[in-house]
Amino acid sequence: MNDRNFQNLSDQELEALMRAGASSLPPDDGLVEEITPWRRAMKRALLGIALNLVTLNFWCLNYLLPAIGTLLLLLGFRALRRENRGFALCWHLALLQAAVRYACLILNAAVWQAEVYQLPWMRPLPYVLSFVSFVQALGLRAGFRAARQKAGLAPAAPGTTALAVWYLIMCALALVNYTGFLGWVLILAYFIILRTLWKLPRQLEEAGYAIRLAPVRFSDFALGAGITGALAAGIAGCYLFASGYDMGWVPVPEREQMGLDELREELLDLGFPENVLNDLTAEDLAICEGAIRIFVDQGDYPVNGGRLVTREESGYHVQTRVYDVNELRITGVAVELPGEREHWRIIHHFEWIVDPGFHGTESLQFWPAYHIEEGWSKGGEATGRVLYDRDGTTYAAPYHYLGERSYQSDTMFWGKQQNNDLFAAFSFPARGQRQRGYVAYDTLENADGYIMDSWINYTHQNSWLQYPVRTAMENRMRGSWNLSGTFSLVQTAIQFYPNDPEDFSDNGYTIIQE
Amino acid sequence: MGDGELIDRLRRREQSGLEELSRRYGPLMRYILSPILPDEQDREECLADVVLLVWERVDAYSPDRGAFSTWLTALTRNAAISRARKRRQDTEPLSPERASPAPGPEEQVLRRELLEDLRRALSSLSRRDQILFHRKYYYLQPTAQIAAEMGMTERAVEGRLYRLKKRLRKELGGAYCE
Repeated sequence: MNDRNFQNLSDQELEALMRAGASSLPPDDGLVEEITPWRRAMKRALLGIALNLVTLNFWCLNYLLPAIGTLLLLLGFRALRRENRGFALCWHLALLQAAVRYACLILNAAVWQAEVYQLPWMRPLPYVLSFVSFVQALGLRAGFRAARQKAGLAPAAPGTTALAVWYLIMCALALVNYTGFLGWVLILAYFIILRTLWKLPRQLEEAGYAIRLAPVRFSDFALGAGITGALAAGIAGCYLFASGYDMGWVPVPEREQMGLDELREELLDLGFPENVLNDLTAEDLAICEGAIRIFVDQGDYPVNGGRLVTREESGYHVQTRVYDVNELRITGVAVELPGEREHWRIIHHFEWIVDPGFHGTESLQFWPAYHIEEGWSKGGEATGRVLYDRDGTTYAAPYHYLGERSYQSDTMFWGKQQNNDLFAAFSFPARGQRQRGYVAYDTLENADGYIMDSWINYTHQNSWLQYPVRTAMENRMRGSWNLSGTFSLVQTAIQFYPNDPEDFSDNGYTIIQE
Repeated sequence: MGDGELIDRLRRREQSGLEELSRRYGPLMRYILSPILPDEQDREECLADVVLLVWERVDAYSPDRGAFSTWLTALTRNAAISRARKRRQDTEPLSPERASPAPGPEEQVLRRELLEDLRRALSSLSRRDQILFHRKYYYLQPTAQIAAEMGMTERAVEGRLYRLKKRLRKELGGAYCE
């Protein structure tokens, strides 16, 4: 055994050995470059600036890249913050940007994110962030120049002035909602500026050695991991606790429809479906007093993907999609009420007869009968509620939103369109049975002979897997055709001619089982 | 002006070469000198010495042996250590223990073996640990400076250095414990 056993060396001896050995083992070229104090910080800051402006709208890159960019800005300017006032300004603005951007990233995972962004004090946020970036570019310019001056070199910061001007122009164009050709010129200019800036650390390297980087309380890794962890926890928290509306459920009183037994009997005799009748509030039930006739349309609909079945037909393989389970039952009830003008109360009722598994947000969109303005007019505001059962108790709540909403949809076939529809938005709790609800409205005849045509579009959220989070109602308002993943759409209508007796059976109602 | 032209000017003994050397590499040389020579006057004197050394020895530089900046860095570092050692000798009283005889032939062979093992052990380290080793033992940077420039806390640097030493000890020990 060799007598120079290093396991037996004392710490001091090993230290001395390494010091002596290091003198004979100079670092290689690459390592000499890597110890440059300034280059890493500057590259991070510049990469951060670049990533903050990248908007690639796929795989969530429009969120991921700016998030990484913001972290790089933080790490880069954190190291430089004590060098001069310019870099200190950049650091403080990077902190501000990080706070806002990361808060927005968490907010995007909550169902009420769109409502928050619509708040008056939130609307100028994109412009404020653009202005912050403009001031940061000025700070960067001042920081570069001061660093060079400190190293005894002529102050210079090529590219940074152009970057500041670029941000200013972007801010101005955003304010006037400019969407013309100049946008492409600015994108080209942006890449040229970035290229110039990317060369900057190397060009200014001589000044970089004069820079003293600030000590840190948390390592870069700890800061990065901390921010990532906080973001993940915040987003997960939103998915867990802010994935549905706060509905304010209360138990339904046992004798809610007390005193209306006679009316109930009359309506049942006319063919009013009992399950729908049981869910009406006393007020909605009372409105049906004096009902003349009733039309009912009921169908069960799938919200699952079904399965493909191939069969041979006349020598051809024909594929059809078969649904073994129909989870959603939708019932349309039209009740004719007495009055001088022909008066109908339309009730759209739905009920989950099979639990769909996930309960996030749900939405009902209606194209009411009075959409055919020549034939029908609006007879009042819509009413309704949602209900579910648990442990033998029925709970009810008003809709989170029920009313008409103007919106602009943008579809592939029809382009941008301004619409005004009746919407209801709601959520169901995860635990519960027979989740159900209804919306009722009145319509009055304008002219005889028009079809009664009242549509319900039920949008169901299938999973939490979406970012940013969009509610079922927002999805519907966007006119999105992508219904294969997060959302499912069930469309049906109650349609009949009030003047056509064939639409009504002998006992005064029709049930169409789909 | 690239490094090639700078070296050519220095070799042609042109004054502009010296000016360019100071302009371009002055901050780098000061950066190397700073942790080894805490006194500013010392650093400036050493810097002048290094510039003179470059002026005298630039003909000995060969690009085949590495980048000009690497050569310059080594020259600067060695000059700073010599000056620091000389300073210590000037201030410390002479003692019989300090006198050490020149190493004998056997010791020189052992030293070469040791360096070879150290080089091998170093190459097995991660790039980040190699940088840490050189910052600490070659450039003699204080822990605070290493921490700030590597984006770590001082405690984290000390912990990493401890693990690095432990690993080197294991690597070197393994080489000798046969």
